[in-house]
Amino acid sequence: MIFGGWLCLLAPLAGFLAILLAGTRITRRQAGILSTASVFVGFAGAVIAFVDMLGRDTADRSEVTTAWTWLQAGEFKVSLDLLVDPLSVVMMLVVSGIGGLIILYSNGYMKGNDEERRYFAYMAFFVFSMLLLVESANLLLLLAGWGLVGLASYLLIAFDHHRPAAVTAGKKAFLMNAVGDATMALGLFLAIAKTGSLDFGPVFQAASSGELSDTVVTLIALGLLGGALAKSAQIPLHTWLPDAMEGPTPVSALIHAATMVTAGVYLICRAHPIFEAASAVQHLAALLGLATLLVAGVVALVQWDIKRVIAYSTMSQIGYMFVGAGIGAYGFAMFHLVTHAFFKGLLFLAAGLVIHRLSGEQDMRQMGGLRRSMPLTHLTFLVGTLALVAIIPFAGFWSKDAIIASSFALGGALGWVLYIGCLIGSLLTGLYSFRMYFYVFHGEPSAKVEAAAHGEEAHHGEGDLSMTVPVVVLAIGATFIGLLQIPGVWEPFAEFLEDVVPPLVTPSTGQEWLSSMISLALATFGSYVAWRAFRAGRELVSAGPIRTLLEHKFWFDDLYDAVFCRPAQMVAALLREQIEQPLVQGGLDEVADGTIEAASVAGRAESGLLRTYALAFAVAVSILALVFLVVR
Amino acid sequence: MSGPGIPWYLAVSAILFATGVAGVLLRRSPLIVLLSLEIMLNAANLAFVGFSRLHGEMDGQIFALTVMAVAAAEVCVGLGLIVAMARRRLPLDVDVFSELKG
Repeated sequence: MIFGGWLCLLAPLAGFLAILLAGTRITRRQAGILSTASVFVGFAGAVIAFVDMLGRDTADRSEVTTAWTWLQAGEFKVSLDLLVDPLSVVMMLVVSGIGGLIILYSNGYMKGNDEERRYFAYMAFFVFSMLLLVESANLLLLLAGWGLVGLASYLLIAFDHHRPAAVTAGKKAFLMNAVGDATMALGLFLAIAKTGSLDFGPVFQAASSGELSDTVVTLIALGLLGGALAKSAQIPLHTWLPDAMEGPTPVSALIHAATMVTAGVYLICRAHPIFEAASAVQHLAALLGLATLLVAGVVALVQWDIKRVIAYSTMSQIGYMFVGAGIGAYGFAMFHLVTHAFFKGLLFLAAGLVIHRLSGEQDMRQMGGLRRSMPLTHLTFLVGTLALVAIIPFAGFWSKDAIIASSFALGGALGWVLYIGCLIGSLLTGLYSFRMYFYVFHGEPSAKVEAAAHGEEAHHGEGDLSMTVPVVVLAIGATFIGLLQIPGVWEPFAEFLEDVVPPLVTPSTGQEWLSSMISLALATFGSYVAWRAFRAGRELVSAGPIRTLLEHKFWFDDLYDAVFCRPAQMVAALLREQIEQPLVQGGLDEVADGTIEAASVAGRAESGLLRTYALAFAVAVSILALVFLVVR
Repeated sequence: MSGPGIPWYLAVSAILFATGVAGVLLRRSPLIVLLSLEIMLNAANLAFVGFSRLHGEMDGQIFALTVMAVAAAEVCVGLGLIVAMARRRLPLDVDVFSELKG
């Protein structure tokens, strides 16, 4: 089991290093193959670990291995610990499996890019970092993985470094994530101070046994939550994700939809004893998830960039996962994470096929009528949309509705607020998803689409085989993966995770089906409204103050700009004008002027006449002699 | 011990030295300046020897010999320079060579 874990972790690292060291000695194509192969080897490792685990007793499914101790200070030590248990195996399978498919897709998508080798090295590096994050058995190693995925994300968002927008977006993502990393680090410092350890076992033990005071647990949980919010793009640290769409589409699919952004959900599930000991923070996570899913859902209604619509939808779906993790329905949150990885990866890759076909066009108003010229893309995109909207029997139906049912089962004021909010979210999902689907694939083809249909691109079909195969595989997954969880029939996924992360709330079968039906009805209604609006040529949100609000994304960016950026710039300008220029630079100038002045005065004494110097000698010696005599 | 007392020697030495200084300060020909320098060195030698005799020790005389050796070497260099200047038909006037003017 542990062998699988090591293989899974190290294969992508080996691929990354190989591409890095080979440099230009391998062709771009070979770099792509190397990267893809290494990640698939990692996937094989994950499968080995998984199969091995299935053969064991449920009590025996968690294994920790220590490679070496790399930090020791007195009693405190941190080792390179790998943890393989059901929770990490699920993440390993998702990260390496979906990651492999998306990197395979990149082989076709990035073809002809000048810097393919760098791209594939970064992709393999990302997969390694993400696996380090999910496989670590202590919080410090987890934080290291946490930082490395942030780095990979930054590098890949800004991959197209010729475009200033991409570079800016990369920096924005990095900075906002740094806020989360900082709060997490603070939480870890507190954990070290109070428990003397960062290993999962002792820290969680201390949290759940009540050994730590309420304040301490709450602060640690808040620190971890800050990290989770930033990485998962939840309010209030969410503004980087839509901008991150400046990166290449497969990057958006892998990092900003399927894997990295769900790390926050994983963290809450993994650190559930801490969050359970600080239930206020856990509920805060659920409420922030709810806020995000609603805000992102309504903002998605007015977006025109196809990738941005999917990005907002990602934020919204992760909001659901936060709701699930926040009320203790860990198994369902993780299940939604898995299904989301499939259908959101699928949506991005299918959107990538469209963008590829239209030579980089991302504005949905420039699309339309693609259903005839791109039948396969149309079909797979529709599958992704149905899974996202949670139409039975596609994946989202089984996973998202389980979370909604859990909030229903939770009851109380919190439960009802979450429940109603999640249902509104279902309606919104139907609205924005089908709005996007109709604009892209239905209606009359735009001039651009017509041109593409008759252009050179059309001869290549809908894309390389390396691009269409992953899309089809993901579409099959998005259709059937949900069947792992059928309420009342079988729930192997939840049972698989039950021992590691025991759920706090379990809805009854009746509750699940009831709330699923309500949610399904709302989602269908939303889709229908989107269809009617599209047919009538109307916008879903008519012009007015509300549309202005949505188009400005609730003014979050403007608020942060006013609160953080501008004051910082003002302070910098003030320091430059009041301190640097007059004191530092001004002083320097005067010192230089003074030196020149003094030199020109002293220079006059240097006549160059030998006899003058001799006279100066003689006079000076005479004076010295006189002084000597007088003093004596 | 016979002959004039030490003060006489020192007086001669001082006169010689003043002559040398005046020569260095007033004359412009490098040859004369060099000559004046030699006079100053010999004034110093005379003072050395005089004091040596006053104290009855040999140190001053040894020092005078050293000064003579150094003076001989210095004259070689100095005369060499002057000959070189004369060969290039440069004016033999120290005031003309004022390139070090600040």
